[in-house]
Amino acid sequence: MHNLSEEYKTLVSIAERTGGQPGSFGAEDVIYIVVHGNRILASHALPGVLIEASETGDGIDARIIVQAGTKVAKPVHLCFGHLADSGRQVIRSRIFLEEGSSAEFQAHCIFPNAIEFLHAMEGEIHLGPGSAFSYREVHVHGPEGRIDVRPVSRVRIDERAVYRGDFTLVEGRVGNLAIDIDVEAHGRRSRVEVTSKIYGKFDDFCQVRDIVRLTGAESTALIKARVVLKDRSQGKFLGLVDGAAPGARGHVDCTEVVQGEARAVASPVVQASHPEAEVTHEAAIGRIADEKIQGLMAKGLSADAAIDFVVSGLLR
Amino acid sequence: MLEPQMLFVKDLEVEREGNRILRGISMQVHPGEICGVLGRNGAGKSSLAYAIMGLPQYAPRKGRIWFDGEDITEWGVTERARAGITLAWQHPARYEGILVRDYLKLSKPDAGEEDLEEALKLVQMEPFYLDRMVDKGLSGGERKRIELSSIYLMKPRLAILDEPDSGVDLLALGEVMGLFKLLASGGSSVLIITHREDVAAACDRSYLMCAGKMILEGSAAAVKRYFLSQCEPCVEQKPENTGEAALNHA
Repeated sequence: MHNLSEEYKTLVSIAERTGGQPGSFGAEDVIYIVVHGNRILASHALPGVLIEASETGDGIDARIIVQAGTKVAKPVHLCFGHLADSGRQVIRSRIFLEEGSSAEFQAHCIFPNAIEFLHAMEGEIHLGPGSAFSYREVHVHGPEGRIDVRPVSRVRIDERAVYRGDFTLVEGRVGNLAIDIDVEAHGRRSRVEVTSKIYGKFDDFCQVRDIVRLTGAESTALIKARVVLKDRSQGKFLGLVDGAAPGARGHVDCTEVVQGEARAVASPVVQASHPEAEVTHEAAIGRIADEKIQGLMAKGLSADAAIDFVVSGLLR
Repeated sequence: MLEPQMLFVKDLEVEREGNRILRGISMQVHPGEICGVLGRNGAGKSSLAYAIMGLPQYAPRKGRIWFDGEDITEWGVTERARAGITLAWQHPARYEGILVRDYLKLSKPDAGEEDLEEALKLVQMEPFYLDRMVDKGLSGGERKRIELSSIYLMKPRLAILDEPDSGVDLLALGEVMGLFKLLASGGSSVLIITHREDVAAACDRSYLMCAGKMILEGSAAAVKRYFLSQCEPCVEQKPENTGEAALNHA
């Protein structure tokens, strides 16, 4: 049995080690929230940002509003996790950036001991006119067991607003992952970038479904996925951009590297529902090219070290 | 008295997909020497480089390779690299997400910022390249020069440079050729694979390859002279006079 301060310390120390700015949690000038299971361990807001969070039976409900014109200077840190080996955590969030505001969110999802666990993120994001929102989600799982991870986001973007979503799960077991991101860029000149980086091992299963509908004139989108699969892991990627407005431009870029007995399927789908839209794609699935590995071995790296080096770059 | 040999290749034969691409190659490279292998496209020069580096696809079906007196024929790429052999590929691979800085540090893990900048300067590149990625953002020539600076940092005992001039602009070519001499003066042996006579001119001694065989060995000048006069168009006959060069075009 952990006590709360232990849980807080453990979650925060892992968050700081995996991309979080050391000292951010607890700092006066940083917005943050730390949740263990369904317990809100800490929460801090600043003027211009409203956070309403409440505990539920299996997680929390949170509503975050970045008020009009507010430019949040430092990244907002969200830390969700659980130190137990089994259980569930469901984070329901509604995030609204009002006109002209901007914020960068860093979410750390930490489950170092999970063996049988469900972690679901159900997010609704609305970006007001001219706002800019960057959401980076980093997962840290333990080296054993399976965890079900279900990040689901529904994003709506008004004119000139910018959305950048970045999902990274490269440390520990992926478990059973199903990312489901659906973005509607309905505002004129709105911009979307969605990136997923995943490293599957053992019998992990990774499913990525990124969909962007460009319904705003001159809106743009980039969907990018970098998936490395080894052992017996499996991956499925669906990236769809629909150019549904005049001048809309989109691109889907997926690279899946497979090693061992891993299997991968990639489906980059490009669709132009409007004749003046332009959508392109590139996808590659395969082993790391011999020339890349041998090029590094000629510098003295072992074959395994060479593969790790290439993979580290792909997932950076 | 026999000259000491850094690399000694004897009767090397390599076959790929049923074709004998190296047919009884014998050659040697001396310590601190810049040795050239000249030949037209498809002569087998790069295959020879890969076989010396130990790429499994180019494992010899016959013949032996010695490095500094040790038979390395059965050694893998990593073992050979750790013994001091390295290869600068004709078309260096691109590595997504890898900074030039991190790539160069593979060659010299304890290199400081000054070492890295010096290595880039030798191939006419500015320090800001250290923060660029070794990926599609770099041109082929830039990748080539970064590869050469990584070889410089590695200070190998034998550097095999496959077409080191390819993709490199004329302004930087002088610096690249200066790098060969710098490597040699630092104690490295340099084996240059080329089909360009101006690059071959920088060598102390050269071989001429044709159809998987060494057909000529001699001074860089003599081999170059023969290459220019007899190989374009290919005449496949013994030259009247090769000076100090010895011919084997059977």
